[in-house]
Amino acid sequence: MKRELQLALILAIVGGLLTTIAFVMAFTTASMQHHNTVVNAPGFIDTVYELAPPQLQPNPPDGTVNYHNPWFSQKIFYFHVPLAQLSLLVFTIAAIFAGLFLKFRDPKYDIRSRIGMETTLLFTIGTMISGSMWTRASWINSWGELGRVLLSEPRLVTYTVMLMFVVAYFVLRKSVEEEEKRAVYSAVFTILAWIIVPFSFAYTRLTQEHTAHPTDVLQQGMDTSNLIPFIIAIIGMMAFGYAIYVLRVAEERKRAQLALIKEDIEDKLADL
Amino acid sequence: MDAPNKDMNSSKSTASDALPNLSSWRQYKALLRKDIAQEFRTKEMITSMGLYGMLVLVIYYIALSRTGTDFDITTIAAGLLLLMIVFTSMLGLNRSLIHEHDQGQLEALLLAPIDRPIIFLAKATTNLLFLLVVQLVVVPFFYVMFVSGSMPILMGDVTPGPWWKLAIALLLGSIGIAGIGTLLATISVNTKGRDFILAVLFIPVMFPLLLVLVAALNAVIVGGTGYEAEFWTMCAAALGFNAIVIAAAYGLYEFILGV
Repeated sequence: MKRELQLALILAIVGGLLTTIAFVMAFTTASMQHHNTVVNAPGFIDTVYELAPPQLQPNPPDGTVNYHNPWFSQKIFYFHVPLAQLSLLVFTIAAIFAGLFLKFRDPKYDIRSRIGMETTLLFTIGTMISGSMWTRASWINSWGELGRVLLSEPRLVTYTVMLMFVVAYFVLRKSVEEEEKRAVYSAVFTILAWIIVPFSFAYTRLTQEHTAHPTDVLQQGMDTSNLIPFIIAIIGMMAFGYAIYVLRVAEERKRAQLALIKEDIEDKLADL
Repeated sequence: MDAPNKDMNSSKSTASDALPNLSSWRQYKALLRKDIAQEFRTKEMITSMGLYGMLVLVIYYIALSRTGTDFDITTIAAGLLLLMIVFTSMLGLNRSLIHEHDQGQLEALLLAPIDRPIIFLAKATTNLLFLLVVQLVVVPFFYVMFVSGSMPILMGDVTPGPWWKLAIALLLGSIGIAGIGTLLATISVNTKGRDFILAVLFIPVMFPLLLVLVAALNAVIVGGTGYEAEFWTMCAAALGFNAIVIAAAYGLYEFILGV
């Protein structure tokens, strides 16, 4: 228990520190991304051209630049993308634990799967918040006319579904009282829900059609000054997420011990 | 001393040896017959779903009564149709397993020498059958009330595709709804807030299928030249989705029957 707490504390401090470093680097050392300068990916700008109104684009057709500070909003990339990737990763881990639970029926896998889902919820909400901020800056409006276009954007659809799944998972858990049933149902639902993850991950990597998520930037390679804070942010957030996970698992174990002790005391009191 | 012990150990094999060896197909047919006979006696699922569908149509009628003649209903007709199907099918799915649960039929089925995947397939098939029967009644009503008599179609501005394409899209949607709905309804009948839990679990799982389905329905209803490509793409996507998710549901059904 004590070792776990120490590990969690160290991980949380390291993770927080690394994320902060990435934050500072994103605004200081990382080079600003312009069209055809740092990122040599025409698709990156083109998708935005299609979506945003012309007068608000980085280089509007008439030559005037209304969009002050081009690609300043791109700075959120260093947080949005790691959060999204980690949310998919943690969901996958939760689904693996759910599968292990169904195979071995060991309650510890159920607890781990549930805590994995809690961490997924945290990362998913983070992605959603940073994503809607970025949407507002880059695609101008998320819920108006443009929102209807974006509603059929595969990444947003699959990710929204994922958030709904994670919320539904906790609603399901709350509504089943028997412990074994609850564990089995939630494991089954986790695996069924996980099917969306490969789609969400692979779609923009396979094709750029119908999508405004420019994954080709990641594939074509980034400038070193951009890549370093990106990787630091990933590692930092991973450490932070793992710290939360370790803490919660330790807490749940203590809770189970406490319940046992309580039962023991009650038995002894009944004997008296 | 030895003999009963031996019997205990091999009780599983002796039990199945004693019973007539039922093939999977016969088990499936028997379960199907049971569900259909039950429905014929109570008429609970089809009447409640059909009536509910009709009531949704009445509500549409009220909701759209102030739109005026300029309003082009064909642009939202696919969405309205989808809404009705989702609501009626959720009602029906819940009904389909309440009997099984409340009257202890599921336990009885588990005691019977039936393979568990067969239970899933039979239940999903009867659900699909009832969904299709209800749609056979309600969708023509919807079409006559809201689509075929609407101004753009009467004026010839919009030419819808043939009805059998609508039927294909609805069939694909119903297969998905019945397949996954059976799994999720089996989970939700065992929870505290049955109807609510079914909706909470059902809508996220169905989200991609509903999105694809509304595009296919819209392609048919709005029609015009070149709608076919979109229609067939969306049908292929629906088919793919159904294949993946129903395979998963088929594999996972065994676990939820066990507890």
